[in-house]
Parts: sequence; C-alpha cells; structure tokens
Amino acid sequence: MPEYKPQYYPGNTLPSQNRKKYLDPKYKLQKLRTISDDDLVRIMGHRVPGEAYKSTHPPLEETGEPACPIREIVTPTPGAKAGDRIRYIQFTDSVYFAPVTPYVRAWMYHTRYRGVDVGVLSGRVPLEARERDLEKVAKELVETEIFDSARCGIRGATVHGHALRLDENGLMFDAYRRYLFNKKTGEVDYVKDQIGVPLDKPISVGKPIPETDLRKRTSEFRVDGNAFRDDKELINWMQRIHMLRTIAGFDPEKVKGI
Amino acid sequence: MSKEKRMFLEALRRKFKEAPEEKYTKFYIYGAWRQSKRKREFMEYSKKIAKQRGIPMYNPELHLGAPLGQRVLMAYRMSGTDIYCEADDLHFINNASMQQMWHDIRRTVISGLDAAHTVLQKRLGKEVTPETVNGYLEILNHALPGGAVVQEHMAETNPELVKDCYVKVFTGDDELADEIDPRFLIDINKMFPADQAKQLKEVVGKRVYQVCRMPTATSMSCDGGTMARWAAMQISMSMIDAYKLMAGEAAVGEFAFAAKHAEVIEMGTLTPWRRARGPNEPGGIPLGYCADMCQASRVKPNDPVWVALESISMGAVLYDQFWFGSYMSGGVGFTQYASCTYTDDILDDFCYYGADYVKEKHGGFGKSKPSWDLIKDVATEVSLYGLEQYEKYPACMEAHFGGSQRAACVAAGAGVAVSLATGNATAGINGWYLSQLLHKEEMGRLGFYGYDQQDQCGSANSFSWRSDEGLPFNLRGVNYPNYALNVGHQSAHVGIISAAHGGRADAWTTNPLIKIAFADKNLVFDFTHPRLCFGKGALREFMPAGERTVIIPTH
Repeated sequence: MPEYKPQYYPGNTLPSQNRKKYLDPKYKLQKLRTISDDDLVRIMGHRVPGEAYKSTHPPLEETGEPACPIREIVTPTPGAKAGDRIRYIQFTDSVYFAPVTPYVRAWMYHTRYRGVDVGVLSGRVPLEARERDLEKVAKELVETEIFDSARCGIRGATVHGHALRLDENGLMFDAYRRYLFNKKTGEVDYVKDQIGVPLDKPISVGKPIPETDLRKRTSEFRVDGNAFRDDKELINWMQRIHMLRTIAGFDPEKVKGI
Repeated sequence: MSKEKRMFLEALRRKFKEAPEEKYTKFYIYGAWRQSKRKREFMEYSKKIAKQRGIPMYNPELHLGAPLGQRVLMAYRMSGTDIYCEADDLHFINNASMQQMWHDIRRTVISGLDAAHTVLQKRLGKEVTPETVNGYLEILNHALPGGAVVQEHMAETNPELVKDCYVKVFTGDDELADEIDPRFLIDINKMFPADQAKQLKEVVGKRVYQVCRMPTATSMSCDGGTMARWAAMQISMSMIDAYKLMAGEAAVGEFAFAAKHAEVIEMGTLTPWRRARGPNEPGGIPLGYCADMCQASRVKPNDPVWVALESISMGAVLYDQFWFGSYMSGGVGFTQYASCTYTDDILDDFCYYGADYVKEKHGGFGKSKPSWDLIKDVATEVSLYGLEQYEKYPACMEAHFGGSQRAACVAAGAGVAVSLATGNATAGINGWYLSQLLHKEEMGRLGFYGYDQQDQCGSANSFSWRSDEGLPFNLRGVNYPNYALNVGHQSAHVGIISAAHGGRADAWTTNPLIKIAFADKNLVFDFTHPRLCFGKGALREFMPAGERTVIIPTH
C-alpha cells in the first residue's frame, strides 16, 4: 500500500494554493514581525508578564495517573504536563483579503498544533489551550504571514467587524478600538488587550501588509481578486462531496463505484 | 428582473452615506447609541421608569467595552415595500404586527364538524340541516369568546376584550356553502382564484370544517394547548344549546372529544421534553403548514417568487424570532438573524435572479424533473451570484454583517430557484445544502458554530428516509431533530416549500385545510401581505387585538 500523502486542499487558484500551503505543517510560515513574549502576554491579558502560570491541577508526574492505553499513546503537552489552566486567543479576520479565513485558520490549527480546542464562526475563531502552550502558538500566529495588523484583530469579545467596510487607514472596524493606526510610525498599536482592558503602554504589531502583498498571501476568494467561479477543480470537488453525501444519506449502497 | 439591476441598491443607498460600491467608510463618529432615534427614546423611557420604580433599567453605556453605535446604526427597508425602520422596530417585542401574526396562528383551531353531526344524527336521532348549522354557528359566536349558553349565574368575558374571537366554517360543497349564512362562511370561491378554488374544493369535498379564532387575550395569557380545549368547551356547550341536548349526557362527551382530539387539525405537534413545549406552539408547526398559512399565493399566483418571499418573512418571524429567538433563548433575541431575509431586498434580488436563470436555462417553473445535474447547475449558479453581490457591493456585505445572515440568504436563493425549476421542495432543500457547502469553501467562513453544524450534515439527510431523519421536507420543522438546533434556516425553508408548489401553480403546499382557514378577512394580521404588515408594525401603524383598554385605568 502506498504511503498516504495528505493533499490538504484541492484547487488550482492562488487562494486554494495558499490554503494548501497554510494547512501543510511542513510549510514554514514566513515570519514578518517580532512581538516580544511579554507584549504578547499583555495583549492576551491572561496574566502579568513574569507571573507564574496558574494551574488547575498538580503536575501530571505528581498525580499518579491511572493505567490507560490512551495516556500511553499521547504525550502530554508542556502545559498539560504542568497542569496549566486553559486560556484563549481569538482572531477576527476581515473579508478584505485577510491572509486566512476562519475555516482556514481552524483547519490550520488542527494540522499544525497539538492540544488545541478550536471553534469557528463567521467572524471569529477562538483557540483554547493550556496557557503556556497557547503562548507558544500565539507567537507564531501573530508574528507570521497569516497575521496582518490591519485586517486581523485579536479580540476576546465584541468581535463585530469582519464584514464591515474599512476605515480611512484600511483598518478593520473594532467597536472597542483595541488598536489604532499610528500615523507617525505607520504601524498599528494595540492600546487595549483582547478583552478591551486598556494597556499601560501601546504595543506595536507592525505595519499593515501592503494591499498588493495581501492579495498574494490571501486565502480568500473574492470576485474583485481571485474569483471562486474560476476554481473549477474546487467547485467540482465540493459538488462531488455534496453528491456523495446526498446519495449515501438516501442509500449507502448506491455510492459504491461512483 | 434585469440582470444589470440590483434590487437592493436603493435600500443600500438609504442605509449608508457612501455609494454601495465604496470599500471605505468612517467609524466612531456617530455619537454611539445617540445616533438612533429609537435608542434615544428607549433611554428617555428608561430614565422615567427608573425614577418611578427606584430600580435602574436600560442603559446602553453599560455595554462591555464601548456602547453600541460605534459604526453607523443603519436603517432597514422592509423588502417589497417602501417602509424604512430601525432594527429595534423589528424585535418582536417592539412590533405589534409580529405578535399578532403569532397570536392569529396560535388562536386558530380548525376542527371538523362531521363527527359531531354524525353523533347528532345517528346516535341521538337529531336532524342536522343548514338551518341548524347556522343556528349553532350563531350560538357559538356568542359562546366562543366566553359567553354562557347553558349555565346560570356565570361570569362572562367583556366583548370588547375578546372582539377578535369568532367561528366560521368552510366546505368544498358549493350547494351547502350557498346555504350557510355568509357571515359565518369562508367562501372558497370568493377568496381564491378560480383554479385554486377548484383544487381546494375537490380535496375538501362535502366535509364541513369550523375555524375557531380564540381571543388574542387568551393567547397572551395562556399557552397553545389551551386553544383547542377552550374551543372544545364552548363547542360542546353550543351543541347542547343548538340541538337541545341534556347537559352532561354521554353523547356530549363525543363533541368535546371530536373538538379536542378526533377532528382537530393539529397545526403544532408536541415538542420533545428537552424543548418542553405543549401542542400548538411554534416549535411543532411544520414548515409546510407555515407556507400554507401565508396567503400571498391568493394575491399574486403568477409570481411564485414574491409568494415565497412573503412566506419566508412569516417563517422568519415565527421560527427564528419567536421560537429560536425567544422560546429557546430570549433577550435581544435573534432579530437580525431573521430580518436579513425580509429586509433591504437582498434576498429578493437573489431569488428573482434564480427565477430568471431557471426560466432561461430550464424552460420555466416546474418544467424539469428533479435531477442531480439540475440541482448542481441551479444551486451553484445562484450561490455564486449571491456571494459575488456581497463582494461587489461592500455595503451589501456590511448590511449582512454576520455570516449566518449571508448564508441564509445565499442558500435561500439557491433553494428557492431549485424548487421553482423542479416543483419539488426536497430537491430545493438539497440545493440549499449544496449552496451552504459552496459558500463555506468560497468565503472560508459560514455562520456561527451551530449554524454550520446543521448545514454540514444536511446533504446527507435531505433525501434520507431513515426513521429518525426521514421526513418529506414539507413536514419538517424545528421539531425535526436536525433542525432543532439553531436560527436562520427555517424562514428560508418555508420559502423553498412555497416556491416548489407555487412553481407548479398548486393551491396549497401541504395542508389545504390550513390554506383555507387563513383565507379570512376577519383575521387581525394580514396574511396576504405579511411583509407590509410587519412594516406597519414597525411604523407603529398596526392595531393589534387583545388590548386591555376597557379594563385598565385611563393612561
């Protein structure tokens, strides 16, 4: 039997290819900016930088785990091993050529990270994990090409904005104004943490990615960019899945050989 | 509809200062909630109330992070009308016509008279003639609202409070209908276009049904299960009076049994314990019944798209706003999940585009047998069209700022179009599910958690006949296992059913008795023009029933 090679995503247009790339854990996400560990902790707002991780149970080594084949197969993440509490980071991605869409973001989390609990809505993607694991993941999520300071937002609540038009600086709407465009530096500064609590000092998350560059990195289909209609392979794939599900729902025997 | 003309553009121009094609706007400058006339009014009331009762109330400044209105709080156009209102006006608590629509449905009890007549004739040897039927109906019109007919020294209801309560009958027998006092008759020949009347009379035949409208005040004070019981009580009493029976003789129990159970058209079935509602509540009303309650098909039978859109608005209010938005959740409710299907002419545009496509590519409405190729072609094209409108017109995207709103409208357009082409609602719902899957891949997003769940497994159950899933689409509703989860679907599903039967020029979709029962000019809500009626409610121009003015202090 040949070795299984995941294909990750069908389609031959740029958004499909980008989706495939982002979902493939072997592809190294390009780093575009640096956010210090402490600043990221401040934006997430779960603990004060330097503060010890709060725990919900003693380290696993101390708990005397019961004999369990699953526990033998699955190596605990560092956060689970230490007994960290579960915390979150949540992103909102604009419909205007944000690098990733909610589903791409969620699929990517599943293919790239362990010990994560992901939800998908049209305007936000919550990611929950043990706190120290979360911080490690969040670092990659904010520093690399899948984040844009103008079209992605780190938002714990009142995420409204993904479908709204953009402001005069090209930033996605945020009712809490957690971030502002700094005209002096051309960068976007977070002035509130993800739940909306004011920060002691602004934290820059870098310059917005230029529109032309965004359009190259995006995994979003748009009629004013790469139209979904042009990706015949992807459409055919989706239609086929629907057909198979439909027929199998009526009579599973009928899908044999289709 | 011209393919170049977008029906929603006029509304978008009124909603936003910028052109609908403009991608940029301004935020944070509108004075938050103060930009809204309605919310200013709410605040004024709130201050007065807080002073009167000594307990604080509504205060939009308490919103987490920032008060509402950091973006423009846009107006809403009631689709198919020239009415504009605020979002708040579409919350059913603020809209008397929405409440009345539900009361008019809940307070309607349809029950056959034939069983009672059989008991009278065969068991008791009484004569039943059109004259005795007319006499009975006059008595019941006294008794049904709460008048005594047999008992002495009874407390009765004030007619002014229950003036919306009455009984009428209908039959498919023209000769019998001619002999019924016209004050008590739902005249099928007068209420329906000739071809629809012919279909309906054929199916009803010589049977006689009574349509009881319980008082709205009862609907407001009691539950759905009350209605048939209230009706049965007064029907039994009226039978005693009309046919001079002994109060309490065994046969009287038969009238009550017939009126409560045997002859009742159960419009809303019980919901499971975990959803814990009795009979005759929105959760148990099948989608096809809702489509039949809508009477738009009598007004414009040649425009099944318009008919479907009107029925969608009823489904939105009944299932999304009342059932999911209140019975199952509450508070701010699901107003904007629901109102996206009946505001700003966006769904209208998608549906008429689909109708034109069906006419051009598939020979017209109801001309094609359901097939995989047709579903694939029509649902894909209409879905892509809808998605492209959101992308071409940023104002359209902003109007439907939530993914569930877009998903509902795009898939509704696709489902309605497939229904129109095939005359088959089950094919239509399959088109809806293809649309949802395409939408998810196109935008890389769909609705909220639960919204998607229903749609990602929907393909597999659209033609399923397994015992826990299999149900012809017309008979599904929020009581169907997979549809009990979330808001934003059932409105459009009503339209998918409506379009299938409208496309075939059917007089009804699922239950002809329900279609006839709501063909009644004495109903308070206008079931022929639901959207217009909701709009009047939004403008505070709709007068509901059940007002308590005569029993409360002047205010």
